[in-house]
This record gives sequence, C-alpha cells and structure tokens, in this order.
Amino acid sequence: MPTFILDGKEIAFEAGETVMEAAWREGIEIPHYCWHPGLSVAANCRMCLVHVESGRQMAMPQLAFDEATGEYVPATKPKLQPACQLGAAEDMVVSSTNEQVQTAQASVQEFLLLNHPVDCPICDQAGECKLQDYYYEHQGTLKRKLTEPVHKPKGVRFGPTIVYDAERCIMCTRCIRVCDEVAKDHVLDMRERGNRSEIILAPGRELDHRYTLMTEHVCPVGALTSQDFRFKARVWFLKSAPSICTGCATGCNSHADYDPRNGKIYRLRPRDNADVNKFWMCDDGMMTYMRHDTDRLLMSTAGRGEDRMPVGEDEALGLAAEQLKNVEGATLAVVLSAQHSTEDNLALAKLAGALDADRLYLAALGGWEGDEILRSDDNNPNRAGATQAAGGAALKSVADLVADVQSGAVQGVLALGWATAEKLEELTPVADLEHVVSLASHVGALPAVAAVAIPVADTFEIDGSFVNAKGMTQAFRPVLPAPGGVEPAWKTISDLAGKLGKDLGFTDLQGLRQGLVDEAEAAQ
Amino acid sequence: MEPADELLNDEVALELSEDPMRLNMGPSHPAMHGTIRMVVDLDGETLVNLDVQPGYLHRGFEKSCERGTWAQVFPYVDRLNYVSPMLNNVGWALAVEKLLEIEVPERCQYYRVILGELSRISDHFTCNGASAMELGAFTPFLWLLKVRDWVWDILERETGARMTHSFGRIGGMAAPPTVNFKDDVLRLIPELHKVVKETEIMLLRNRIFLDRMQGVGVLTKEQALSYGVTGPVARSTGIPYDVRKDHPYLVYDRFDFDVPVGEDGDNWDRFMVRLEEIRQAIRIIEQAIEQMPDDGPINVDDPRIVYPEKDDVYTTIEATIAHFKLVMEGLRTPKGEVYSFTEGANGELGFHIVSDGSGTPYRVRVRPPCWYNLAAAREMLLGGMIADIIPTFGSVNMIGGECDR
Repeated sequence: MPTFILDGKEIAFEAGETVMEAAWREGIEIPHYCWHPGLSVAANCRMCLVHVESGRQMAMPQLAFDEATGEYVPATKPKLQPACQLGAAEDMVVSSTNEQVQTAQASVQEFLLLNHPVDCPICDQAGECKLQDYYYEHQGTLKRKLTEPVHKPKGVRFGPTIVYDAERCIMCTRCIRVCDEVAKDHVLDMRERGNRSEIILAPGRELDHRYTLMTEHVCPVGALTSQDFRFKARVWFLKSAPSICTGCATGCNSHADYDPRNGKIYRLRPRDNADVNKFWMCDDGMMTYMRHDTDRLLMSTAGRGEDRMPVGEDEALGLAAEQLKNVEGATLAVVLSAQHSTEDNLALAKLAGALDADRLYLAALGGWEGDEILRSDDNNPNRAGATQAAGGAALKSVADLVADVQSGAVQGVLALGWATAEKLEELTPVADLEHVVSLASHVGALPAVAAVAIPVADTFEIDGSFVNAKGMTQAFRPVLPAPGGVEPAWKTISDLAGKLGKDLGFTDLQGLRQGLVDEAEAAQ
Repeated sequence: MEPADELLNDEVALELSEDPMRLNMGPSHPAMHGTIRMVVDLDGETLVNLDVQPGYLHRGFEKSCERGTWAQVFPYVDRLNYVSPMLNNVGWALAVEKLLEIEVPERCQYYRVILGELSRISDHFTCNGASAMELGAFTPFLWLLKVRDWVWDILERETGARMTHSFGRIGGMAAPPTVNFKDDVLRLIPELHKVVKETEIMLLRNRIFLDRMQGVGVLTKEQALSYGVTGPVARSTGIPYDVRKDHPYLVYDRFDFDVPVGEDGDNWDRFMVRLEEIRQAIRIIEQAIEQMPDDGPINVDDPRIVYPEKDDVYTTIEATIAHFKLVMEGLRTPKGEVYSFTEGANGELGFHIVSDGSGTPYRVRVRPPCWYNLAAAREMLLGGMIADIIPTFGSVNMIGGECDR
C-alpha cells in the first residue's frame, strides 16, 4: 500500500482516498466540521486546512505585523489545502499541526464564533459540541469583535422532529447532504451568503422523511436539535452503552444514552457499523428507546377481566405451571416471539420440547413499510433467530393460532412477548381458552388474553442476540438493570420448567448458548 | 486484725512485674495532636519500646483528587497542613504549572511568596507556642497566637478565609492583592519582631523550659538523613537543606536570607531554628514587598487555564465556552508526570502528579514533610522519659492532615 507522512507518522492509503479519510481510518482526527465519513465532500468549513510541506510550495502574499517597527510589511504565507478534499499521494508530507496550520485553525474557529450566540447554558449540544471542543483545542482567545452579532431566526420548526436555530448554525451543509445522499430527499437547502446564510426548507415542504433525526445526528453544533431530546437531559450526565435497535430486521447498531441516576434511557444514537447500518438509523428506530419505560408489565397477574389480580413472582410461576399441567402436549400451542432474543426463544422451544408440544407459532409485529436505505420490510428484529431457535422450519402465525383454537385443535397457549400484529378483539377465541400463560415485557394483546401473565426483562436489560434479515447474528449486552423481581425470559422459562419438573438442559446463559451452537453445528 | 488490713498487707507483699508496662497514648490524647496513637513499653518511666501509629486522620486525599478537576484539588491541599494552607496552595499550583510548562506573572510570584511566608510565620508561631504551652508556659502561647491572629487578619482580607483559603489558582491567584496589602504587611512586621523577642525573654532563660528542651529528643544528622527528614527538624541537626535556597522556585533566588541550622538536633534546636526562621521569613517579606510591582497582571493570559472575567462569560461565546470547558471538564494538561517540591512549613512538600492528558489528575502523590519527620520521632523518643514525649512530639510538629492525607 502506498503511504504518505502526516505529522511525522506514516499513513497507508488506497488510491483515490483523501488525506482526511486515510487519517480517519488510522484513528487520527484532523479537526473538521463539514466532513463526514458517510457523506460527500463539501470542503466549506475550512477547519481541516493542512500544509503540504513536500513538493512545490505555493506562496500567498499577505501583510505581516512587524513588532520592531510597529508597521505592516509585505510577507508571504504558504497556501493551505483542505485535508478532506486533498487526495493522498505517495510520499506526500503533510502537517496538520505546524504554525501556519495552527494559525489557520485558530482563525477559522474565531470566525465561526464571531456571531455565535451565548447559548451554551441552554443548548442541548453543550458538552458534545465541536465548537466547544475546537475552541479549547485550537483557539483559546477571547472575543475581539465589539459590535453586535448578526441575529437570525431561532427555534424554527423544520418538521415534527427537528428544530432549527440559524444563529448557532455554521453552515457546514451536513444536514443538506444527509437529506440528499442518505434519505434521497432534497428537502433542505441554503440561502443567502456570508454571515446572512441560513438553512431553509424546500417551499411547501416540511422535514418529514424517515431519516430526519440523522440531520440532528450529523449536526456538529447545536443548530439542529431533536424535538424529542430537546431540554430533556444534559449530555454530561448521560452514560452510553452499545445496543441493537429493535425497530426492524436490519438490526442497526446503536448507542443507548441513559442517565445512571434515574435508570432512564434518553435517546439512541447510531453506532458505526459498515456491514449493517454504516453511520445511520431511521427515525422510527431512533425512537424505539421509548418502549423501554412505556407500558411495561411490572407485576405478575392471574385471572381475567375483573378477576385479574396481582400475584407474587413465585406464586405466578406455580399458577402458570398448574395451567400448563392441565393441557396435553399435543393441544398446547407455544408461541415464540420475533421481538425476543434468540436465547429467549430457544429456551421456550426447549420447554415446548420437554412438554411434548409440537405446535409452535411465532408472534410478530406488522404494519410497517421498508425502504431501500436501511429499513427492512420486517419490523421484528429477530424473526430469523426465533425461527432458527425453533429448528429452522417456518412457524405458523398468530392468525393460524386463532384458527386452530377455533377448530378445537389447541386447548392451551404458552406465549412469549407482548408484540403481535393482531388486535385484542381478534384474539377473543384465545381469551376464551381456560389455559393461557403469557411471558411479556410490556402490556399488549397477548398478556391481555392470558390467564396468567408474568413480566420478563426487555431488550435493554438482557444479554442476548438477534439474527437480522441478512442472517447476521449480533449480540447485545444489558444497558440497564431489569426492574426488581423481573428476570430475563430465558430465566423465567427455566424457572417455570423447574416448577413443571422438567430439565431443559441448561442453568445459565452460557449453557443455553452452547445449545444454540450445538444446534447450528447439527444443522450444518 | 481487721480483714481489710490483712488484704492490704498481702498486696504490699506482692512482687512488681519485671516485664515492661505497655501503655497506649492516643489517638485521643491531648498531646497526640489529635490523631496519633503511640503504644509505649515502659520500664519505670523510661521508654524501652515505642510504636508510633499514624492513620487515624486518613481521608483518602490522594484518591479523592482523581475524581475532580485539577483546580478542584485546592480545597483538599488546604487541608493538608492546615496551619499553613497557603504554602500548600502555592505548592499545588506550582506542580500543575510545571506540568503545563507555564510561569505566572512576576507580580503573582511575589504575591505568592509574601502570602506563603506569612503562612510559614503563623505555622511556626503555632508550633513554638504549643510547645511552650504543653510544658506549662501558657503566656507565650497566648501572646504568639494573638499575633498569629493579626497575621490571619491579613490573610483573611486577602483571601476571604482565615485558615482554609483555597486561594491558589492554576496560573495565578483567585484575586489580585488588595489596595492596602503592602501597608498592612509592613505595619504588622514590628509586631512580629516584638512577639518573637517577647517569647525569647519569657522562655530562653527559664530553667524549667531549658531542662525540658535541651538534650531531649535528640536526632542525629545521620538519622535525619536516613529517614528523609527535611525542614526545621533536619536543619536542627545541622543539615542546611532548604528548598528555597537549594532549589529556588518562584522568586526566592532574588532574596537575601539565611538558613538557620542547629547542632544537636534536640528539642531546643528545633525550637530555636523555628524562631530564627520567623525572622528570616520577615526578611524575605520585607524584600518581596519592596520588589513587588504595584501593577500588572496576576494571572496568566490564557482563558484555557484561568477563568475568564464573569462579564465576558455572560456576554461573549468565547468566554462562555472557556468557562464551560474549565468547569465541566477541567483544564487540560499534557500527558506526563512531574515532581514539584517547595519548602513547606515542616519541610519539603512535594507533589508527584501523573496526567493522562485529561482534565482530571490520573494520580496524585503527596510527599508530606510530616510523614518522614514522624517516622524519625521514634528515634528521638526511644530511651527517653515518658514525659518527654510531649515536648519532643510537639517540636516534630506533626500535622495529621498532611501526615495521613
């Protein structure tokens, strides 16, 4: 591979790569605002100016202040070039830290702050703002301008998800490019010039495509803020944990930002993964964090309708076992969940096997549109994993279950998960069955029709894995602890098996996963 | 005979044990200065063995420093040697400044010297006054503390607090000198001389005081060196080591002052070295006041190190960002480690700090002079009388805050 020298360090590059890209791959950040690895090059922020010290030098005339005489004298300075647009060449010697470059960085930074409002205390970006970081790293001087800053529109509603503040905007055009290049919707553009420029919407339009939150995500400053996250939390109080989006079968990698003080998740951010989601996530996926503390099932219940009563954890397991004992294996329907991890589904499949129940169904969400960008047509993160856990054969749907209940073939149901496309009314035949057990993290149609409902942990609270639409297995770790008394579904299933006097062949997640590996090997 | 008398006679007939008597002094003994426990083995009144046990004032100072920013360490160092907190403040500021490779403006250097020497005077007043008091001489203690309060009046006017000032800042001080600073100090100097003289008159020809101090608690030069003892305790044995002279920092190389040394390393020499150091500190202050510029900046001119003015913070984005960064993340230091040391009131006060390049210390290690002086205390006490623990331990001037950290 050819190499060039950046600040004394040899950096390999591939033909056609820019200095910025090659450095970024090596983990070296040349300061920049407008460049983004997932977007085209605009080279308009001028923060990434570097000095190519090899080759013929271009000199620019300038006036320099001579301290001895106190006068300005003619001088020259080298012509700097933006690293984001500068193609790397063999044996090129580049400096991003020499005196001229430092002067340029400080000057660019000073210009960017020239008309910037004093908003840090009320700005959601404070704490993760490039203007703040680069001010400290590259400028470090106080204001020299004495005149009133230019005022521009603030708090402009761009659409249902995004608010725009023109005064904070540095016109890097990342948001325009993310709409053009990722969402393929030219809904944003820029008008005016110089310090009067601002980002505008296409006439008659709102920023309402499916990737609007990506504009906020790429915004290096606080110009674009998310309606949802606005004024909710200060980022320096948040901690971040890696997670997998449960929105659809793509399985976008995400960072879940949560406040450890109250155990609340405040937002998701895309986590770079070149093989899955590159740098992006869709709006619906970004909002899946809200499920974590909305409509959670927190207490076991027994009975239906007006007789539904909360019961203790152990009692609920006993009641559930009682229910299942009264159903013959051949007439017991076991419903796997496309929203639960492969491990949870595997544990349930093993229990079905131990109960000689071979009627396996799959509950999944519906009513979703995919697209060519990220969104899969299937809005369940783990249909493939659940199917795999059940042995690989296609599973019957919940609609089939209703039909089988009506025909009398099914006398009892053991269902995992809250998520199903069917509405509560459609499940009336199941509600009429005597023996229905539901293990669910949230309230929903399935736990609503159950005679015994037991809460389990949701995706943000467990160790597990999903298999996405491409067949890639992605493991995830708990972000937050589960609420008191609530266990992961595989654990609850194992406890339930204990009550039924059945041995599922595992006692911990390790053993369960080994079963998964063994099955995969057997399948090959 | 009555039964009780029989008992009495039997007891008289009991043999005294030949084993040494083990006795615990402290940690709540009034002469243990709060926080030291001594397990002493006594043969009669002679100390045959002695175990000095520190650790009763351990607050996890060094570990605490790893949680906040570099600037947030100042309140902690105030509580090292809390009798002369300004010297610790300056010591910490100099350590971080060494890491940052910056130097504060000249005016600030003089300001730091003067405030530091005032602190040293108040420290020596306290130690010598308490030594006299513990031997029954209450008057010198009260007289010295009266003048110490006047010293603290000046420190209070300058810093806002009499003891734990938290006045040092990385790259300067929290505020410039007040308008009357120089006059206040100059007006105080005759009082300082006067009270030192009075102390001498009261104590130096007092037979009881002489008997308790001279030839008691002797530390040899070799012992002092092997224990790493510094400060007045080391100088009393004849080692002329003073960081201000041997490794000058701030502007100490511009002053004409002497380093008093003793010969015998006993309580008397330690007492006299401290008395003379007060006079030398006054000399330094007088010269510093003469040389200190009346105008000029106190803080380095870099908003990435020193907080910008509040007016600017509220009205300009640059200052807001600087303020935000300094408060939320702390000033960023280069990666690396330094050892910086100054002459504290009890000896060499060193800070060995390690930075991982972030706004928070990665590791802070304090070399507190008391720690080494206390280690040598066993050598001074062993073989002496139990009553001599009080003046000897007093003249070591162990300050728990700095010893245990």
